[in-house]
Amino acid sequence: MTERALDPNALTGILRDWLPRQRWYAAKGRDVRNLTVSSYEVVAGGEPALHHAIVRVDGDNYQLFLGLQGEEVPHRIEHAVIGWLPIADDGRMVAVYDALHDTELTAVLLDRLTQLPDAVVPSNLQSLVVQAEQSNTSLIFGDELILKVFRRISPGINPDFELTTALARRGCKRIPRPLAYLETLVEGEPTTAAILTEYLRTAVDGWELAKTSVRDLFAEADLHADEVGGDFAGESYRLGQATAEVHADLAAALPTATFDSSDLSTIAVGMHERLSAAVAEVPALAPYADAFRDAYDVLARRPATAEPIPTERIHGDLHLGQVLRTEMGWFLIDFEGEPARPLAERRLPDSPLRDVAGMLRSFDYAARHMLVLSDTPPSPQLEYRAEEWALRNRDAFCDGYTGALGVDPRDDPALLHAFEADKIVYEVMYEARHRPSWLPIPLGGARRLGEM
Amino acid sequence: MSAGVAGGPPRTAQQDTTGVEVSTAPAVASVAEVGVRDRTVVADAGTWTRPEVAEPTVSAGVGIDPFADVSDAERDPQWFKRAVFYEVLVRSFNDSNGDGQGDLPGLTAKLDYLAWLGVDCLWLPPFYTSPMRDGGYDVSSHTAIQPEFGTLSDFVEFVDEAHRRGMRVIIDFVVNHTSDQHPWFQASREDPEGPYGDFYVWRDDDKGYSDARVIFVDTETSNWTYDPVRRQYYWHRFFSHQPDLNYENPHVQESVLEALRFWLDLGIDGFRLDAVPYLFEEEGTNCENLPATHEFLKRVRAEVDRLYPDRVLLAEANQWPGDVVDYFGDPVEGDECHMAFHFPVMPRIFMAVRRESRYPISEIMAQTPEIPPNCQWGIFLRNHDELTLEMVSDEERDYMWGEYAKDPRMKANIGIRRRLAPLLENDRNQLELFTALLLSLPGSPVLYYGDEIGMGDNIWLGDRDGVRTPMHWTPDRNAGFSTCDPGRLFLPVIMDPVYGYQALNVEAELRNSTSFLHWTRRMVEVRKQNPAFGLGSFTDLGGSNPSVLAYVREFGDDLVLCVNNLSRFAQPVELDLRKWEGIEPVELLGGVRFPRIGELPYLLTIAGHGFYWFRLPREAIPHD
Repeated sequence: MTERALDPNALTGILRDWLPRQRWYAAKGRDVRNLTVSSYEVVAGGEPALHHAIVRVDGDNYQLFLGLQGEEVPHRIEHAVIGWLPIADDGRMVAVYDALHDTELTAVLLDRLTQLPDAVVPSNLQSLVVQAEQSNTSLIFGDELILKVFRRISPGINPDFELTTALARRGCKRIPRPLAYLETLVEGEPTTAAILTEYLRTAVDGWELAKTSVRDLFAEADLHADEVGGDFAGESYRLGQATAEVHADLAAALPTATFDSSDLSTIAVGMHERLSAAVAEVPALAPYADAFRDAYDVLARRPATAEPIPTERIHGDLHLGQVLRTEMGWFLIDFEGEPARPLAERRLPDSPLRDVAGMLRSFDYAARHMLVLSDTPPSPQLEYRAEEWALRNRDAFCDGYTGALGVDPRDDPALLHAFEADKIVYEVMYEARHRPSWLPIPLGGARRLGEM
Repeated sequence: MSAGVAGGPPRTAQQDTTGVEVSTAPAVASVAEVGVRDRTVVADAGTWTRPEVAEPTVSAGVGIDPFADVSDAERDPQWFKRAVFYEVLVRSFNDSNGDGQGDLPGLTAKLDYLAWLGVDCLWLPPFYTSPMRDGGYDVSSHTAIQPEFGTLSDFVEFVDEAHRRGMRVIIDFVVNHTSDQHPWFQASREDPEGPYGDFYVWRDDDKGYSDARVIFVDTETSNWTYDPVRRQYYWHRFFSHQPDLNYENPHVQESVLEALRFWLDLGIDGFRLDAVPYLFEEEGTNCENLPATHEFLKRVRAEVDRLYPDRVLLAEANQWPGDVVDYFGDPVEGDECHMAFHFPVMPRIFMAVRRESRYPISEIMAQTPEIPPNCQWGIFLRNHDELTLEMVSDEERDYMWGEYAKDPRMKANIGIRRRLAPLLENDRNQLELFTALLLSLPGSPVLYYGDEIGMGDNIWLGDRDGVRTPMHWTPDRNAGFSTCDPGRLFLPVIMDPVYGYQALNVEAELRNSTSFLHWTRRMVEVRKQNPAFGLGSFTDLGGSNPSVLAYVREFGDDLVLCVNNLSRFAQPVELDLRKWEGIEPVELLGGVRFPRIGELPYLLTIAGHGFYWFRLPREAIPHD
């Protein structure tokens, strides 16, 4: 009987309570009354059954995999139950739950994926939901595969899928190999619903690793960043190399273009607009606004005769949380681009310096996160040492990047500063809204950038 | 073999099967005394007589099997895979005749101590006649013993006594070169046309083999040295007083094989083959790891297998694991050396702890190729040479120097000449963590004499002598090593305020149940109770925390989980142990049961530089 679709109206009823409690639900605090089910499919009938739904709230699409099961719900999936609904015919109640937490159903899902050429996907692997994610839900199968299921889903091919498959075809060794995918229709358009890749079992992300280094530095009384045991510059250098390798492969695998002076003017206009909005919302940014505007204007006034700036597909949201350290070196993941931007924009070629700027900002975050987490105001000594750590690792990253690509990102300081400033503006807005106690990090970055 | 089992009541005294009594109470016989008494008893009982080997003759084809009375069912051709090795320098261990130098009878007298410690195999660096310009590695006869160290019959007695205690013996054999005082070299330089004329690599100029690196870069400028007697240049990969043998000459190969048989006939259990990658030279190559070198090793192995079962060949090839693996020979059959040292592991352990990151170790483990099933790596933290930094990048080497060799005198060629304890600034937690890593990573661990009591070094002595000073036995004169006039000692004992022998010695540590010596012994014992350590596979588990190195060793039903905190700070770690869902881990040292493994990541918290060894019993153990 669970071959049959659920009554959409009844389903929206239970989802209204459940959806806002999910981490990946973006429109927190906003109305969910206008939730509608825009597509519905029975993937596999039987007991339990696997159903797939796309629901629309507030202009966003969310992807759900639903498990349906009769009265007996095993203990292990109780925590994933969304609600109970009657079956239309006989009034019998079934439990509706998040199927990604049911290893029986995720095994079914694994078998339904479309395999990429040359990929061999084993089946019958136990899955485990990764806890830490913000905008997707990932499942680890055994200790070899990871399935990223997109939750908030934009119609069209996902850049993560597009870029990683292109990189894999070029034999890029700096990404986990994509193996299979799932496609669905969203707003009538074929859309990447899930990506299966090789799972880097022994990896940790760069943020965790950088934290161990900063922790080690702060535990010393007065040693410099290059003197302490946990010096991170070697890792930063290798990370710069890995980033450069990925950029080189992306430029070779996918279309490239250039920014001419008029493109730069347009970009500067957008930067000015974002800055104005941020200053209006966070007045603490105002003292640095003039310096930022100067940086944007340098970009906008670049002479038409100047060398055009090469562009290519880029990662788009590169930071220490998007890189994985493994025993085979650094890997880059999550090529989805900046989540706040529309999908079509994210797929346009852009300057690779935008990625570099993102990573440079990330070093600043790593250096100072312990200062904002502390209950007491940071001592000038620690501030100084954090700055030293950030500078040392920013330089090492750029050195590594230069070493691998032959192009030094510091050779175009105007562009790099403008990208960094734009990133800081984004950070200021984000922190003001979500983590006000972290605001000193981007504001400190704004002050230093203004002084340059 | 110990009566004192962790988890029981605190030990005040314990007795083990060798009769060594250990106590925190004073006035208990020292191990040395027990050793002497033990030997006397044996001699009185007439169960053992010293063979007369005054004039040994080479008897190819007749191997003397030291374990001839062991039935086939109990034979153990893979003993070396489970063994804990102990490197002991004859000259530095114990002096029996008061001449200021350790000797073979002195070593024999301390066998009870070594048996008590639980080591399975002793490795003796060269004790051959030698001008002693390279710690005895400059051999001037392959079949004679340096007189200060004893006689051949002393050696045979030592080997027999070790075997009687269940310990094996391997000795160093310098295959690549000899001392320039060796009769072969003297004959070669005097008489180019004579039978030894072609025993070494002679040239009219110093231009050949220019692609070969100079290894001892701080003392040698070239691999060629001019000999004023023969008026030619001779080839040497190491010191200029150590000419390389010419393996192209079949007579050289025969002579070396003959010398190997000589020692095997005396009952030893194998060789550490010194500097094996350099036997042959070939123009246009770096003269390392050449096919002809491997061919000769295959010949040595075939000879050993044919005549001397259960013996082991341990290759010293200071190369990357990808190159070293060739010294095991055929990937399936393993027809060259049984064992080879895994050099990069050691600096990587130091690096990982300084960086508080598991990746230096994880990387080298991931880059380590599979080895034939009948082979084993040898791993070590420290040995008689410097801490070798050839296997780290330039950047890392500068860093290691900065961190571990704060004084220029602490550096040797491209390594660091320190003992383990001073390298770790005598931090007990780190000493334990490093030892736990040594005893749990894949390979057979090799302990270095003195490191089990946390001995110090003396960086003011020349070359690598700083880590070869006399063993500390007691707080008495010369640390109980020798009864000679202190000025006569071959090297002074350590006397500094932290590592001085007055406080840091075997006797004192035997009396203190919390000493590093007792701790090490307990760890060796636990290792030997779990075959997975020696024979098991290795799986890096990764985990949420980059400062925590976690891995599983698995052999049949024996499953051991090792979790190491490389950071000085306490750490949490979440491990994905779903494969072993339902199992209750049992901590190996105390037997404490940990919470059942579930579907969710397994959370552990570990003190700074702490570690856990867990057994993961597949069969549920009933609760009390």
